[in-house]
Amino acid sequence: MGGDQLLHFAEFELQIIALSVFALLYAIKAWTLARLPMSWEAAPAKGSPAAGVAYSYAATVVPWMMDSSTQHWTRWLEFGVYHVGAGAAILSTFTLPFTPQLMIQPIRVLFAIAVALAFVAGAVKLWRRFTDPTLRVVSTPDDYFALAAVEVFFFLTVMTLITDAPGWRLAYFLVTAGFLFYVPFSKISHYVYWFFARVLMGLRYGRRGVIPQTGETR
Amino acid sequence: MSENQSTVEIARQELEKRFNRIVGVSASNLCAHCGWCVDQCHYYLATKDPTISPVAKAERVRRVYKRHHDWLSRIFPAWTGARELTEDELDAWVEIAYRNCTLCDRCLVNCPLAVDTAQIISAARGVLTAAGKAPEILVQLADAGIAREENLDFFKEFYLEQLKELEGEVQARLGNDQARIPVDVEGARFLYVPLSGAHTITPAATIFNAVGESWTISMFEAANYATYLADIPKAKRIAQRILKEAERLKVQEIIITECGHAYHAMRWEAPKWFGGPLPFRVRSIIEVLDEYVRAGKLHLNTTANPEPVTLHDSCNLGRKAGLFEEPRRVVQAAAQDFREMTPNRERNFCCGAGAGLVAIPDWQDMRLKAGQPKAEQIRATGAKVVIASCDNCRHQIIELNEHYNLNVQVMGLAELVVKAL
Repeated sequence: MGGDQLLHFAEFELQIIALSVFALLYAIKAWTLARLPMSWEAAPAKGSPAAGVAYSYAATVVPWMMDSSTQHWTRWLEFGVYHVGAGAAILSTFTLPFTPQLMIQPIRVLFAIAVALAFVAGAVKLWRRFTDPTLRVVSTPDDYFALAAVEVFFFLTVMTLITDAPGWRLAYFLVTAGFLFYVPFSKISHYVYWFFARVLMGLRYGRRGVIPQTGETR
Repeated sequence: MSENQSTVEIARQELEKRFNRIVGVSASNLCAHCGWCVDQCHYYLATKDPTISPVAKAERVRRVYKRHHDWLSRIFPAWTGARELTEDELDAWVEIAYRNCTLCDRCLVNCPLAVDTAQIISAARGVLTAAGKAPEILVQLADAGIAREENLDFFKEFYLEQLKELEGEVQARLGNDQARIPVDVEGARFLYVPLSGAHTITPAATIFNAVGESWTISMFEAANYATYLADIPKAKRIAQRILKEAERLKVQEIIITECGHAYHAMRWEAPKWFGGPLPFRVRSIIEVLDEYVRAGKLHLNTTANPEPVTLHDSCNLGRKAGLFEEPRRVVQAAAQDFREMTPNRERNFCCGAGAGLVAIPDWQDMRLKAGQPKAEQIRATGAKVVIASCDNCRHQIIELNEHYNLNVQVMGLAELVVKAL
């Protein structure tokens, strides 16, 4: 297989295989979770479960909705920068091979800046994980590896966006495929579980009138 | 416990039984170990011990769940920190689940991923209960609740005598010798369920008589210690006593006294245990007092409570049950100078004695230490009166008052209202 053929395989066939495995693994996870027993709220509602779910999701991104965000706004900013960059890096894995016409130079630069900032935020996170005793006590090899691997992914994304050189591009798509195979097994999966957890919290707290608080008595 | 089953085997089976959808999500790879919860926990703030932060406590249980439910942890446990459940691990869980966590949910409202640590710790409590490792005093208190029903005739005579004495106090307070603490009244609007202390009976009785309420008092106490043990069959039996009584007396509503866990259990958890809504409306006396205030049934004189008053949001009444504005409206109607604690409502700090900790004398040191953030909150208000509408919180704040020299008076909401009558 020549260089061009290998790059083509990494960008298309390998990505499709990896994405299919990724989707299958998450489908199994979702099916497994859905089969677990669930004791739904049964008391007459005081508040709105739907409003509770909306509030619950909003709390993650609105900095004044949790004390943990308000009291540590730089950490919240870092969290935002990191995840915006991760979004841009993931989006690039689709747009670069499948819709290259969208990836005009200004967009590439914009994405590169977002991912580069995320790379810096990731480095701060990694440093904190090594030095903060409250994090060290709960950190596992998976925690360190996940952060380090994402840093590599961010770095390759930036290099590919800036240079578009075949070598960087090949490394980028090989690492992306590796990620797709690894992520369903690792703590990086938190972003999938987050959707479920926010719904569960919002339904309970919303029904009980804990969030959002309307002052009503029912 | 069967003789041929080891404690660890029983614990493992119980752990599996408790692997429901909420625990399943929170014990998976949801937690990113980001540490945002760490300084939102009153235990960590008071001790600065990283091993009793919410994430560290939950992780001790989570890693055992992961060993059996997480793909990577099954193959390569060292990579994810997954562990097998052992006797030593179970012994470590006793302190984690019963001493170092009050299931207050403050970490949940501050977690960007909504990891439900209290549900994980509660599962651990249930496991320890099944394995015979739960604090003995909590087991005894739960059993006492059941024994009261089984030996009601034995208790009844003494209880009725006590009620008669308290009735005299109510009559004296109201200057009305027709005031009553009614017992076994069929068709009353309310079945009022107190705790064992007179402070949960006399103020409520005074108010009910003052407004001419149709009510009857329960033969049972509202406390349900089995909820602390996460022992649902036993908790159901304890709740069932009150439901049967309400059914027998054909009342319209069950009114729970100022008790956080009892209200939370009967209002929100019992319908889940019994598989559907209860045949009675369940309210806290706090909601009834609020109803009286809003309907103009209570004529309160705020000058009777001139000193600054602050309100402690009990976790079981507030963050777990949504009672935030009701007590505030009552305090504002009954006192001249109401001062909010910071933070408050769903962001409030636990008093440090929740989830049964107040009943365990051996752990008093830790309880008082964990109450430090609450003590600081109270001091910062400059209030001279603290309203604690939960009996556990009330006891704890009384002790915090002494321990931290807060110089405050601690009382229930109904007591504040009675002062203003």
